[in-house]
Amino acid sequence: MTLPIPLHLLVLIPMIAGAAGYFLPQRAYHRLLLLVNVAVVAVALSIFRDVRWGSAIVQRVADWPDWIAITLVADLYSAPLVLLTALFFAGTFLFSTRADYLDKTFLFLFVLLESSLIAIFLSGDLFNIYVLIELGMLIIAILIMYKQDKQSVYDAMLYLMMNFIGMAFMLLGIGYLYRMTGVLDLAGLQQRLPQLGNARAAIVPYALIMTSIAVKAALFPLFSWLPRAHGAPSAPSIVSAVLSGVQVKAGVYLLIRVSQTFSAVIDAAPFFMLLGFVTSVVGFLLAIAQKDIKLILAYHTVSQVGLIVMGLHLGSEVAFWGGMYHIINHALFKGLLFLTAGIIIEEYGSRSYAEIRGVLRHLPAVGIGTLAGVLGITGAPFFNGSISKYFIQQGLQGDLGGIGMFLINLGTTLSFVKYSVILFGTPNAPQPPQRDPWVACISLLFGLACLAGGLFGGPTVALVYGPQYSAAGALGLEKITSFVLTLAIAVGAYLLVVKRIGGLLLTVRSAKVSFNQITVLLTLFFVGLLGYTWWSV
Amino acid sequence: MAFIAQLQTADLAVGIFFLGLYGAMSQRNIMKTIMSVGIMDLGAITFFMMVNHPPDARPPISSTPVAHMADPVPQALMITAIVIGVSIIAMCLAMYMRVAYRYGTADWSILIRRLEK
Repeated sequence: MTLPIPLHLLVLIPMIAGAAGYFLPQRAYHRLLLLVNVAVVAVALSIFRDVRWGSAIVQRVADWPDWIAITLVADLYSAPLVLLTALFFAGTFLFSTRADYLDKTFLFLFVLLESSLIAIFLSGDLFNIYVLIELGMLIIAILIMYKQDKQSVYDAMLYLMMNFIGMAFMLLGIGYLYRMTGVLDLAGLQQRLPQLGNARAAIVPYALIMTSIAVKAALFPLFSWLPRAHGAPSAPSIVSAVLSGVQVKAGVYLLIRVSQTFSAVIDAAPFFMLLGFVTSVVGFLLAIAQKDIKLILAYHTVSQVGLIVMGLHLGSEVAFWGGMYHIINHALFKGLLFLTAGIIIEEYGSRSYAEIRGVLRHLPAVGIGTLAGVLGITGAPFFNGSISKYFIQQGLQGDLGGIGMFLINLGTTLSFVKYSVILFGTPNAPQPPQRDPWVACISLLFGLACLAGGLFGGPTVALVYGPQYSAAGALGLEKITSFVLTLAIAVGAYLLVVKRIGGLLLTVRSAKVSFNQITVLLTLFFVGLLGYTWWSV
Repeated sequence: MAFIAQLQTADLAVGIFFLGLYGAMSQRNIMKTIMSVGIMDLGAITFFMMVNHPPDARPPISSTPVAHMADPVPQALMITAIVIGVSIIAMCLAMYMRVAYRYGTADWSILIRRLEK
C-alpha cells in the first residue's frame, strides 16, 4: 500500500510551475507547461482510479479538526470532472503549439485558470469555493478581452460586474449559513442543517447561494453574459473551448453539490427541471438567430447546459447519470467545435456562416472534426450525444416530456443544419491552408472520442461512474428513424422557414439587454426562487 | 419606534446590501453602478463580520480572554473577501476607463447603442 496522493498537488503543480517557469523564453515555457499538464493528467488519472475502485478521498489541508479545517474532496462527482479538466487543458496546450497569439502572460493566466478550476471541483468548503470562483472570474475577464478588439472590453466588463453581483449574493448567503450552523464545510452543513428544526430558516441562504450559482451555470434568464464571454471575438479559440467545455460545468457541478447539501431540508428539483427546459429552448432559439459561428456555438452551450440541468433534476437515476455523462460529452464536442471554429475563422478571415464554404475540402482534418462534433451534439446514432440524450429521455414521463425532448432535439438539429452549411460547397478561402499536424491530430482525436463515447456508451458510463445501464436502445432502429426524421424536418424547416425570416432573426440578434435590466432579472430570479422554496417547504 | 431601536448592525448590513442592489438596478451611470456593486459587497462583508459577535466582543488577539473574543473565523475570512472585492472593483474601474474612452459615454443604455454590430 503506497501513500495516498495529496489532492492539493493537483492544484499546486500547475500554479507553481506557471509561476516558476515564467522567466523562461516563451517556447520553453510552453513546453514546460505542456509537460506539467501531462503530469497533472497522470496524477488525476491515478486519483480517479483510487476513487472509482476504492472510496472517496477526503483530505484536510492542515491538522485542524473536522469541519474547521479546509477540506478537499475527491468523490464520484468530482474525480471524473478533474480528470476531464486535466485532459482538456493538456489537449488545448497541444492544440496551440504553433499559435502566434500566445505570449507568456497569456500562458500564465491560462494555467492559473486550470488550477482554479480543478480547485473548485475538489473543494469541500463553501468559502473556499467562493474565493476560487472569484479568482477564476478575474482571470476569465482578462482572457476574454485579451486581444482587445471590437467590443471585447464591454463584454468583459459586463461579465465581471454581473458575476460580481452574483458572488455578493453568495457571500451574503454563506454569512447566513455560518450564522445559523457555525460551519462552512459542505459535509458539516449537510449534517447540521436538518438539526435546525425549522426548514424555512434555510430558505434565505439557499435562495441567495442558488441565485449566484444560477448565474455561474447560465440558467434562464441569467445567461446573457455567457455568449458574450464564450463567443467573444477577441478571445482565442482555446479560451472559448475551455470556457464552454469545462468552466461552465463548474456552475452545474456546484448546483449538484449545493442541492445535495440542502437536500434534507429543501428540494427545488421541479423548479430547476423546468428552468433547465426553458433555458434549453431559449438557448437554441437564440442560436438559430445568430450569424457569427462562434456565437451560434456559444448560445448552443446555453441550450445544452439547460438540457444537462434538466436531466440532473428529473428525479430519475438514469436521467441523473445521463446528465452527468452529458457533461463529459458536451465538453468533448463543444470543445472540439470551438477549437475548429477558431482555426476556420483564422483560415477564412470571416466569422459569418454565410461567407464560409467548403471546410471539408479545404481543411479535411478540421472539417472531419467539426462534422464529428456536429453529429455528437445533434445526437446522431453512434455518437456520444445520442447516448446521454437517450438516458435523459428515459427519465421523462408522459407525452409532455416526450414532446419537450423532441423540441430540444429538433432545435439543436436545426441550428446545426445551419452551422454545417460551412462544411460543404467549393472552398472560398483566400490562401492555401497552413499545415499544423497538432491541430489536425487533436481535432481527429476529439472527434474519435465523440464516436467512441457513442459506440461504447453504456460501458463508458459504467467505467466512469459505476452504474450499469444498457444503451442498446439508443442504437435501435426506432432511434435511428427518429433521428433521420428529425433531421429531415430540420432541413425542411431551415430551407422553408429560417432562410425567409431574415428580418425577424436580425431583430432577435441585435436585441441587447443592458446591465440594469440584467440586474433586475437577477433580482426577479432571486425573489422567484425564494417564493418557490417558501411555497414548497 | 421600538422597531428601529431593536435593529442590529447585521440587519443594517442586509439593508445596505439591498440598497446596493437597488442602485445597480436603477442607475444608468456606469460609475454609479460600479459603486453600487461595491456597496453590495461591503454590505455582505459587514453582515458576515457580525456573525457570533456579541455586543461586548473584543478582537481575537492572544491577550483577550476567550470568553470575550469575537469569533475569529469571520474576521479571517473577510480579510480575503475584502481584498478580492477591492481587486475586482479596481478591475471594473480600469475597464470602465477603456470603455469610456472608446465610446465616449458613461451611460449603459447609450453605450449599448454605440456598440459595433
